[in-house]
Amino acid sequence: MPFISEILKYDSLSIVGLEKNVGKTECLNYILRRLPLHEKSVAVTSIGIDGENKDQVTATHKPEIYLRQGMYLSTAEAHYRERRLVSELVEITNERSSLGRIVTAKVVIGGKALISGPSSGVSLRRWVEGMKKFDIGLTIIDGAISRLSSASPAISKAMILSTGAALSSNINTLVQKTKFVVEMIGLDKLEDESRDTLCDIESGVWGVDNEGNLVDFKITSALAINTIKVDITKGMKIIYTVGALTDKLLNLIAESKNIKNVTLVVKDFTKVFVNETTYRTFCARGGKIRVLQKSKLIAVCVNPTAPNGYVLDSDTLCSKLRDAIKLPVYDIVKNEYDI
Amino acid sequence: MTFKSALEIDCGLRFMYDSLCIMSSCGRKMLLASDMMTTKSEIDAYYDRLNDIYSKECSKIAHKLMSLKDIHNTLSRLNDGTTLDDIELFEIKHLALLSLQTRQLLIELGINAVELPQLNKVVEILDPDGLNIPSFYVYDSYSDELREVRKQMKAMQAQGDNASDEERQALATLLQLHADLELKVRENLSQQLRAHTVELTTTLNNMAFLDILIAKAEQIKTMNLCFPNIAMGEYTLYNNMFHPAVKAHLAEQGKDFMPVDITFEHTPVTIIGANMGGKSVVLKSLALNQLLAQYGFGVAAQSCTIEPVEEIALCIGDEQSIVKGVSSFAGEILAIDSVIKKIRAGHKILALIDEPARTTNPVEGTALVEGLLEVIGNNNGAFIVTTHYNIENQSVKRYRVKGLKDGKMDYTLEETHCGEVPHEAIAIAESLGIDPQWIAYTKKNLNN
Repeated sequence: MPFISEILKYDSLSIVGLEKNVGKTECLNYILRRLPLHEKSVAVTSIGIDGENKDQVTATHKPEIYLRQGMYLSTAEAHYRERRLVSELVEITNERSSLGRIVTAKVVIGGKALISGPSSGVSLRRWVEGMKKFDIGLTIIDGAISRLSSASPAISKAMILSTGAALSSNINTLVQKTKFVVEMIGLDKLEDESRDTLCDIESGVWGVDNEGNLVDFKITSALAINTIKVDITKGMKIIYTVGALTDKLLNLIAESKNIKNVTLVVKDFTKVFVNETTYRTFCARGGKIRVLQKSKLIAVCVNPTAPNGYVLDSDTLCSKLRDAIKLPVYDIVKNEYDI
Repeated sequence: MTFKSALEIDCGLRFMYDSLCIMSSCGRKMLLASDMMTTKSEIDAYYDRLNDIYSKECSKIAHKLMSLKDIHNTLSRLNDGTTLDDIELFEIKHLALLSLQTRQLLIELGINAVELPQLNKVVEILDPDGLNIPSFYVYDSYSDELREVRKQMKAMQAQGDNASDEERQALATLLQLHADLELKVRENLSQQLRAHTVELTTTLNNMAFLDILIAKAEQIKTMNLCFPNIAMGEYTLYNNMFHPAVKAHLAEQGKDFMPVDITFEHTPVTIIGANMGGKSVVLKSLALNQLLAQYGFGVAAQSCTIEPVEEIALCIGDEQSIVKGVSSFAGEILAIDSVIKKIRAGHKILALIDEPARTTNPVEGTALVEGLLEVIGNNNGAFIVTTHYNIENQSVKRYRVKGLKDGKMDYTLEETHCGEVPHEAIAIAESLGIDPQWIAYTKKNLNN
């Protein structure tokens, strides 16, 4: 059975989808059904309900998640009341969502429930931390659509990516788009003695010069990069942006003469918001990007069916994607893998 | 007056509130809604309880209170006859267990200030298996029927995805039956708990109160506050009175606060002294400490005797209101006028008025202050004004800030019998390093 044993090596996992209807929930349910609970206790939550709200627009049901006996779940009060399983309430947390306080319960008899947990990165991190008191071996976060932030290594150490025909009904475009995200997730970790110092910085754009001194460019974020009139790469070996990495900043560095000597550093892949062409140009000119923290991408799951009914050939899609990203790719719905 | 409205008085009470380490939201809510105490017996009783807490090491209890949740809504729903859901039952169980543990700690520490009702019965209702853990669900032991249904559910769930359509249908029916049975149990539990609503409410309130007392006791220790003596119809006396917010501010700059002594009875008091001599701080400290004493906090002094009043009026001359179209002079005069009316009506007020009539010409200003002191005369509260005017009235008590000595300000208050105000304004202005030519011309004019 693919990747379950891989998941067990980590204590936190997030599942994120690149688009709606790419089979993220099937993927989560697949994992939850197969995790050996006698080896590790498991707690599940989801990042808020935003994103999933779209469901109410398209009038399709927000998918319920099947939880097995012994698992812990954290969900909003309103959803807890609607659960279709027997569970023992163990905690009312201090986190709140638009559906009320987030409560944590242990499943007594398995069944289905709607999961809607903390909605910000900070509160998710607190949740992961808080689960320790229940002796949880693996925390799983059901990430929201197009919000990769829950997969930040600051929150979960491992991740599974869902993609599918909903993202694009052209196999090549789909593979291309997915490959780019996978490439960003796979950005190498920075190997430099300044790494620890950079980790402690909380905002702004910073540099490390060739002598190893930290330089503050005095701008609040990469969005304000226009205010800088001088070449910030001059004499620098590292440019670090704590917040988002934008096309503008990438272009600015790509245009600099010093591009080959400078390494662009971001906190983790969730901070990269650049378009592929810009990135390719940047790389072609000799630029490189490194991250401070790296997530482990365990596998990619695909759903070859688009919500408009268009179906891609599952085997072609899987093999093309596998070749492109050099990682395990599974169509979970089609192949009912066994343990 | 509630504590919340007292926070509006600009005397530094908010600083005290902000630095108060109350653990629970219901503790804060209770404090904000509390009324000012006005009788000696009430205040004395309060300080007896506070002292009980103060003399014990309560950090363990404080730690427990961190998890106290405000469940007033749940309790009122219970009282209204609503059937509670799992989450609400959990809240009640949580409160009951917390109360049991806290009660045990109170007994161990020998604290009598706060009593918590026995909630063993409530725990028994919500913990049928005697597990003594703060979690809750509708346990099997509540109903044999429920236990049986769950057994069947479990068996069916085990089949997982291989279940046939009929089995799925049967499971759905079971789920419905299960929900009905759970509801029945919760109805029954709510019914049983309803008899304990009063004890539960008392428990919640007393734990919130305990939280407040522990926070106040802690504040007394960290800020070096004192327990006041409460006098009735006598006098007010402060030994080494200080103002915590100003003191903390000075400490940040590496400076010390110079405490002051002050005593007053029912005759009006005037405080004269140089600019920057701390007269306004004295007024604010008096207002603050009066409030602290009447809301049961530690008082900012080494020792003190305080006479409770019905109201505290602090006029520090910022009554100007552009919106109301009132000038600073009119605003001030009207504010003082309302104080006079209240005193006349027999209210016991601590009135603290900073430089009345300062914004008008000194001739009429002096006359207005003289008139004010005469019209107030002896009253059953206390009336204290600071002023730069020469007040002739012999029936007032006078304090004078010692003032500049060798270029250093001595903030100490000394009693004086002479109405002549000190002439140190120019010296102080000079010490601020202002334009020397201005000083020179000023001195020339003064000598003419």
